[in-house]
Amino acid sequence: MSEDLTIATVNELPQGTHKVVNVGGKEMGIFNVNGKFFAVPNTCFHQNGPLCLGAVSGTLIADESTSWKPEWTQEGEVIVCPWHSLEFNVTSGQCIAYPQRKLPVVHLRVENGNIMFPGKE
Amino acid sequence: MKKANDSTLEGRQPRKKLKDMVIVDVDVHVNETPAALMPYCEMPWRKSLEALTEMPQGYLNIPGYAQAVAPWPPFPNSSGQRRKTVLTAQEMRKDLDDLGIDIGILFPDFFLFHAALQQADYAVALAKAYNRWLVEQWLHSDNGLKGAVLAPHHDPIAAATEIRHYAKHKNIKAVYLPTAMVDPLWGNRRYDPVFEAAQETDLPVFFHSVTCIHPVFPFNMQGFSTLFSAHVMAHPVSCIANLLSMLETGVPVRFPKLRIAFTEAGIGWVPWIMMRIDKEYNERRRDLPFYKDRPSNLVRNMFFSTQPIEEPENLKEMATLLTLFNGEDSVIFSSDWPHHDFDHPNKVLQIPVSDEIRRKILGENALRLLNMEGAKR
Repeated sequence: MSEDLTIATVNELPQGTHKVVNVGGKEMGIFNVNGKFFAVPNTCFHQNGPLCLGAVSGTLIADESTSWKPEWTQEGEVIVCPWHSLEFNVTSGQCIAYPQRKLPVVHLRVENGNIMFPGKE
Repeated sequence: MKKANDSTLEGRQPRKKLKDMVIVDVDVHVNETPAALMPYCEMPWRKSLEALTEMPQGYLNIPGYAQAVAPWPPFPNSSGQRRKTVLTAQEMRKDLDDLGIDIGILFPDFFLFHAALQQADYAVALAKAYNRWLVEQWLHSDNGLKGAVLAPHHDPIAAATEIRHYAKHKNIKAVYLPTAMVDPLWGNRRYDPVFEAAQETDLPVFFHSVTCIHPVFPFNMQGFSTLFSAHVMAHPVSCIANLLSMLETGVPVRFPKLRIAFTEAGIGWVPWIMMRIDKEYNERRRDLPFYKDRPSNLVRNMFFSTQPIEEPENLKEMATLLTLFNGEDSVIFSSDWPHHDFDHPNKVLQIPVSDEIRRKILGENALRLLNMEGAKR
């Protein structure tokens, strides 16, 4: 089992921001969502675009519970691919457009002001 | 030599009709002349129909009643010398027998242009007169003739009232929504009462198009100089425009039990539009916040009638086409009899598919759509 890697400091990633880092040769996007840290691969399944170079926002949903009127939800949790605007919730990995598409999400831990990426088991 | 008033159908029943096959034709036309509707129309609009009886009558064209924009040069015999109207239920039954058709869903002739009528009160009065006439003159017996209630887009509340009123009739099996030139398109929320009534009464809605290209619909195709181009484009495009309008307001998810059918546009456009909307969905999901998955899944649940069925040189291509959108379960036969471009069941039977798929397309899918599965053989 390899050791956890320090990939950034908390100071480098204020709440509501994200950045792309290299983790063992793989590009990952890391996100600070309300003080919790998440990492997802920096690749969109659609056309292999650099997903995490996009912007974070909320998104629009409408269903019976909203009387079919669009509502803004998931504020601060949704990364939008800069190529064709596919959306993913970075806390769950869920693609908003396709229920069967999910990014693997890594929950990152903080140690002594550093953001740690878990080592391989 | 056949006479111009001959149907020319006799002795040409479907060649491959299977013993246990029921053929359902979801699009045949009755000829609702102003004189025929007059006794069924309320005042003062009965006076309009009276005045219209003096007007010259063309093919699907009576000024003030069915305003076909048809500036195409006519030539003798260009569309075949045969009868192109059906005036009575008895005549229709005979024609359908000659075509080998067991059950026919009746649509109007002139009121294919119903949405083009400008004055709402007049349009609603004509729709009500048509529905009354249809039920009384065409749907009085158990002879396989079934009706679609005309829902006037001009007044959605009146349309919903018509649907609820006639849904109780044993031979009313569908709702007809005039498709060409409708403005705004059918996805507009003003029409929600129409979809509510159809869903509540468990009647499928049929979007039926007609050759009509309006100066603003769509774009500048009114510049076409031939009926060839207008006919190629008008039918599928009017269906596509209304389909998109409904998708962008979430009609298929807001009315999840509503059964939707498109008539008289062929089927070649269906996989194309499904692929187009999925492509756009990737980029513009926020425009369609109602959907949790690719919107083509919703189109896959709709129904598409065959006529004017595409006729590629190699008919195997039609069999392949069906596989692209689950056509086996969503395509329903229609002849469009007695119109100029009608399809005989033979053309659909020629497509090289299994007998099981033939049974579905020629009848079983329509029986499911129309809630008539008891009519299976």
